[in-house]
Amino acid sequence: MGEADLPVTPDVAWGARARPSASPLVEGIRRLRRSTTALLGAGIVAVLLVVAIFADVLAPRSPIASDQTHTFERPSWDYPLGTDQLGRDMLSRIIHGTRISLLVGVSSVLLALFVGVPCGMIAGFYGGRVDTVIMRAMDLILAFPIYLLAIILMVIFTPTAGLIGTMKVTGAIAIVRIPIYARLVRGSVLSIKEKEYIEASRALGVRDPWILLRHVLPNCLAPIIVTTTLGIATSIIVEATLSFLGLGTQPPTPSWGWDLKANVAFIQANAWLSLFPGIAIFVTVLGFNLFGDGLRDALDPRLK
Amino acid sequence: MRTYILRRLLQIVPTVLMITFVVFVMMRSVPGDPVVSLLGDAYTEEDAVKAREEYGLNKPIVVQYGIWLGKLVQGDWGVSILTGRPVLQDVLIRLPVTLELIVLSMAVALAIAVPAAIIGALRQNTWADYTATSVAMIGVSIPEFFIGVLLLLVFSIGLGGFLPSSGWIYLPGTCPTVVCGASLWGNTQHVLMPAVALGVGRAAILTRLLRASMLEVIRSEYVTTARAKGLSERPVIFKHALKNALIPTVTVMGLQIGFLIGGAIVVETLFAMPGLGTFGIDAIIARDYQQVQGFALLTALAFVIMNLIVDLTYTFLDPRIRYA
Amino acid sequence: MRPRSLPVCAVVLLVLAGIVSLPAPADAQAPKRGGTLRVSYGNEIAHLDFHTAPGYEMMWVAMNVGCGLVNITPDGKFVGDAAESWTTSPDGLLYTFKLKKNVLFHDGTPVDAAAVKFSIDRLMDPATKSGMRSFFESVHSVEVLDPLSVQIRLKQPYAFMLHMLAAYRTGLVLYSPTATQKYTLEDRKQGKPGAVVGCGPFKFVEWVKGSQLVMDRFDKYFVPGLPYLDRVIIRVIKDPVTEMAAFKAGEIDFIASFSPEHVDTMKAQVPSAVILTGKETTPMLAAMKVTVPKDGKPMSKERAPHPVFGDLRVRKAIGCYGIDRGEIVKIAFKGKATPWVGMNPPGTLDTVDVNAMCPYDQAKAKALLAEVGYGPQKPLTFELMADTEKSVFNVIATVIKEQMTRIGVTANIRLVDKVSWMNTTLQDGPWDMYVEDLLSLITLDSNGYLSNSTSTWSHPRHNDKRVDELYARYAREMDAGKRKAIAKEIQEFFVEHMYWNNISGSPFYMVAQPWMKGYTYNAEFEVHYHKVWLDK
Repeated sequence: MGEADLPVTPDVAWGARARPSASPLVEGIRRLRRSTTALLGAGIVAVLLVVAIFADVLAPRSPIASDQTHTFERPSWDYPLGTDQLGRDMLSRIIHGTRISLLVGVSSVLLALFVGVPCGMIAGFYGGRVDTVIMRAMDLILAFPIYLLAIILMVIFTPTAGLIGTMKVTGAIAIVRIPIYARLVRGSVLSIKEKEYIEASRALGVRDPWILLRHVLPNCLAPIIVTTTLGIATSIIVEATLSFLGLGTQPPTPSWGWDLKANVAFIQANAWLSLFPGIAIFVTVLGFNLFGDGLRDALDPRLK
Repeated sequence: MRTYILRRLLQIVPTVLMITFVVFVMMRSVPGDPVVSLLGDAYTEEDAVKAREEYGLNKPIVVQYGIWLGKLVQGDWGVSILTGRPVLQDVLIRLPVTLELIVLSMAVALAIAVPAAIIGALRQNTWADYTATSVAMIGVSIPEFFIGVLLLLVFSIGLGGFLPSSGWIYLPGTCPTVVCGASLWGNTQHVLMPAVALGVGRAAILTRLLRASMLEVIRSEYVTTARAKGLSERPVIFKHALKNALIPTVTVMGLQIGFLIGGAIVVETLFAMPGLGTFGIDAIIARDYQQVQGFALLTALAFVIMNLIVDLTYTFLDPRIRYA
Repeated sequence: MRPRSLPVCAVVLLVLAGIVSLPAPADAQAPKRGGTLRVSYGNEIAHLDFHTAPGYEMMWVAMNVGCGLVNITPDGKFVGDAAESWTTSPDGLLYTFKLKKNVLFHDGTPVDAAAVKFSIDRLMDPATKSGMRSFFESVHSVEVLDPLSVQIRLKQPYAFMLHMLAAYRTGLVLYSPTATQKYTLEDRKQGKPGAVVGCGPFKFVEWVKGSQLVMDRFDKYFVPGLPYLDRVIIRVIKDPVTEMAAFKAGEIDFIASFSPEHVDTMKAQVPSAVILTGKETTPMLAAMKVTVPKDGKPMSKERAPHPVFGDLRVRKAIGCYGIDRGEIVKIAFKGKATPWVGMNPPGTLDTVDVNAMCPYDQAKAKALLAEVGYGPQKPLTFELMADTEKSVFNVIATVIKEQMTRIGVTANIRLVDKVSWMNTTLQDGPWDMYVEDLLSLITLDSNGYLSNSTSTWSHPRHNDKRVDELYARYAREMDAGKRKAIAKEIQEFFVEHMYWNNISGSPFYMVAQPWMKGYTYNAEFEVHYHKVWLDK
């Protein structure tokens, strides 16, 4: 719950304030470069992206090819991370798992963004009835027991394997994150709504959507970026957790959470089989958290 | 203020109604129904048709919901088709286990977070601070089930069963069964690892938050004034800074507790605890409609009530905040 | 004897006398009375209405809280439970049971002929919706001859009447008319005090789902001196690793059904554990759907052949020649099961080894597929469904998938939860092939309702009436030799038409602590604790 760890009470706004003209972005980047945490995080994320994109090349074997004669191999030169019950190479599975984790993590957050940000902007800008309706809906989603939702969603739509299964997981995670972005943006919007240049623009007859995009959005950008990055970290944990419960990505798609769960059964003799996926999850989430933290410090030092 | 509270209390009703209705509809859109689980390997088409008729599963969804609601306002949470057990009774048996887990994990979380945050805030930007923040960062990044697995590996398997890996021994006096092996030590053994697994994750979040809040307060004029008055360092820190820094922390804790009533599923599953989480997941998988409704109702209620309490506490603790 | 050796002789005699007069060493095998047996189940008990609840977990409770007319021993002999003796009429239509005099229900009411009639009538009543109803199809009526004599009249001879009464599902479980009428179905299901009443060695005390089930010794059990145990407590531990840990720590005395995948680990971790197993009595199959509803409406009587497996040649190519059963057994069961083509598992009565009818032959499989028109130009693709109840289903499905690629066929695995699987298969939903291990079979006859042409549980829906005729002939044949021949006919028929694609037997394991004595292993069919005692 990285990005939601600051109190987001319904009627109290927090967030960005309108800045003086000097480019905050340049300043931000300068601060970013100086922060070790941010750099470390960025480095990890970059490595992960490379691994995810070039998984086919980097992985020594196919992650789903089972070799019946080499089950439960200990980590060795041939199989750096050993093999599992079906003789599948763990290293390849972990490498390909990066792809799924990042895919689900990033797309669920982006999906939440694309729905949540407009909701928040409209709610904050227009206020009144519209605001109440939208925020009621957001509260409803927030109050929904998340695992209940995920479980039901996962069972409700079949089939569950392959791409469609991954899409289901993404959707389930995204839905729960929408209110976070909605509230965030709404808060920002509320705080700058009364600014004179906004009122001036409206008086001049500039159309609303244009105002929203041109003036309001850039000021929410900083917290959105921070929240997004931290949100990816959280999404990855949620995806792993769902897989651990048996409700996330289904085999044979390589998934860290699933591998962890499937191999806990063999933890007595082959503990490394469940440790490696867990470490992979940890490193990935750590990377995004560090990067997000660094971004937050850089873009908005007052929030430190 | 009073009108605000009343308004919020009233708002709980439609929220909870909406949630339970959505859950109701979703469960009936899932393939399979309780009759399939009920008849199991004795399933025949004719028996199934009869059973669905008997239990009213053929009626329109809205009508079924209405019936459920009608019973609910009379205090009847329904009876499980699968087990014949009253739902409220089952929920009340499971609730204390989850509550104990939550309370203890919060205690663990605070036990870690408060000292860590104080060290971090007092010795800002020193080695101690960096260590504390790093540990917090690590804690946030490990999924709680992985912490659980690591704990299992070390204490249950590694140390030859020093701590039991599953099950539950009730606290004396709280046993739901007549034949009971309640004991304080047994209970502690069973709740320790799950509480730590859950607590570490929360601790990380709370540490960061508490530290940040404390820093803000320490820098503020309020404390400078107190110092100027000649008070020594420690009372200043502890009494004023901590108290004010606790405001956002308490808020977050409340939200966490509200979430955990239904969200401790993973840890409960891993350690096979007879709590609400495992109750919910078993109910969904078995398609036990009534039990799922009970679970959804309880978790939604817990969440919105905790939210309300948090908002109100926020007002009391920080007089600057007022709600319209 | 010379005088010198007299003292020696005397000493020897004295010593001998001393030895003879020593008390005989206590018999080490005399059962000790008392103690609590702690059992662990891998799955939850459904509910406690024995006549209608599904699942082995319930059945094993029913066998100890309830009693029936007869039981069956591991070598197939029948022993009386509540019945003292029984006779069969020469035409096989009348079964007369004489009941023991001192059998009581736990509520104090007597187990008499009226109670037996009540129980059987209840099971046969469609309103009860009991899973045992179909087993009583050949029963015409039940008559009370006198308080201790009851007669069952059949419509036609049924060779497996006693097997059915002993061990089909729970076997016949006698219900007390008083208790059944006093309490509702809901009361029984949830185990309200007084509602769950049987005539078995243990009386039901309480059940809290998710916590434990407790049964205590019934002091008035009709076998004097039994049971030895004071109490049996059953807990549910779903995860085998956790179960093993609890067992190792001595918290559990008996694991009622242990995951085969972890048996080796158990042997290594707990060398003193007593592992009970036998010839497999449960089939592991990769069923193929034969017909689909013609008009798309589930359970429709009008059938059309399944687009993929409707053609016998495809079924043979994939199921008979295209699956390497030996490899599957090696990987999924570490060799601890028997590769088996016949629908009757190796441990079931009248089983036949027909493995020679389906040797693993990739060339033959590819040739058959080519005959139908599949090949590199038109590759065959189908969906392979497995449910998550046991992880071994997924393992087997993965191996089958791999084997399919060797013959140019693509199998896409779809994992669903158990209820979804039941829903799809029972309601004639869309599926191609699934991997599952259904139920354990004590006789080929008990497989009838899983594989005849009309039953809801006969998932392939093959519609072939000849199967029903074969089963009927088999059930009515009173001569054991002729029956065996019919059994062979049935099993060969199924392989010839590939209505049942068996992979292997599904092994069953129970694990006991070395101090648990007196348990007789009889697979899943008879789990009784009445002679169990704890040597500690």
